[in-house]
Amino acid sequence: MIKKIQPQITLFYCINAFNDRASLSVLSGVAFELKTVKMACSSMVKDVFLLRAFEAGADAVAVFVCPEGQCRYVEGNIRAKKRVNFIKKLLDEIGLEGRRLSLHNAESGDTENIGKIFRQILSDINDMGPNPAK
Amino acid sequence: MIVGKQKSIAEIREIVSPYKKLLVLGCGTCVKTCFAGGEDEVATLSSALRLLFKKDGRSIYIEELTVERQCEDEFIREAAVAISKNTAVLSLACGAGVQAIARRFANVPVLPGVNTTFIGVLEKQGLFTEECLGCGDCQLAVFGGVCPVSRCAKKLQNGPCGGSRIGKCEINPETDCAWQQIITRLTALGQLDNLRKYNPPKDWRTSHAGGPRKLVREDHVI
Repeated sequence: MIKKIQPQITLFYCINAFNDRASLSVLSGVAFELKTVKMACSSMVKDVFLLRAFEAGADAVAVFVCPEGQCRYVEGNIRAKKRVNFIKKLLDEIGLEGRRLSLHNAESGDTENIGKIFRQILSDINDMGPNPAK
Repeated sequence: MIVGKQKSIAEIREIVSPYKKLLVLGCGTCVKTCFAGGEDEVATLSSALRLLFKKDGRSIYIEELTVERQCEDEFIREAAVAISKNTAVLSLACGAGVQAIARRFANVPVLPGVNTTFIGVLEKQGLFTEECLGCGDCQLAVFGGVCPVSRCAKKLQNGPCGGSRIGKCEINPETDCAWQQIITRLTALGQLDNLRKYNPPKDWRTSHAGGPRKLVREDHVI
């Protein structure tokens, strides 16, 4: 019997936006592998970190940031958004599909939204197939 | 500083594809400041190339290194060991850096990863503007520190032309009229009389029109 490979998702999150891993329990029962990287501010997510997550085998990468105007460091979430958009274009150029990378506003405890985000990411992975550079 | 822009992934892929062991060599001075070829850009590009080739089922070994300046032998030497281990170098320096590496390592292909664009300044974070053409005969003292050679689309020595509109250039309405800026600046300095003098046509022999230039400082040559 062929063992079905579980999708891998890497989550980078700003601790000021989301610091409650318990909120991820809403995903229990959903078959996927999750790696998490916490950051003091989403602006710490450098271009190369996002790409290296894909090199490490992620099928999709998500970045959780504070809503615009609510960054503790004023513009960290805007910087993160710009970097994510830059890398999305680069992924398109490489042929990996920019859709594999996404940025979201997510707050601790908002399990409904978190569940929705992950279901969408898993649905996208299902459409695109696994990371072709694995 | 020298401002450059990284080439597209498609172009870089084309030029590096014959090689199996590649050194991506960054330069930590000008191109680092303009986000084209510093340590971060070396890491990002290397990662992108690894993903690209792996996706295509090709294996490529990529080594990453950044030296302080690729245009000086003293710093180039630091890359010698890494260069000797690879079959090609993808240099993220300006054209001068690429040629300096090629000159020193005659048997290794040195490929450009950056399009050298202009001599300019960092106007604000992420915005670089051209300020100097390297004409070899600087007249900024006459023009109040605003260069009509690099910043006027027509390179007028006695401007402005009739196309200046509300301080903007007729060639590109987003570009400030250099001559408007010259007049504003000279007025502020109380030196508007500078413009009463006729500026003769520029002698371009001191620029690149005279062929590759060389500067010799005898007092430093041993």
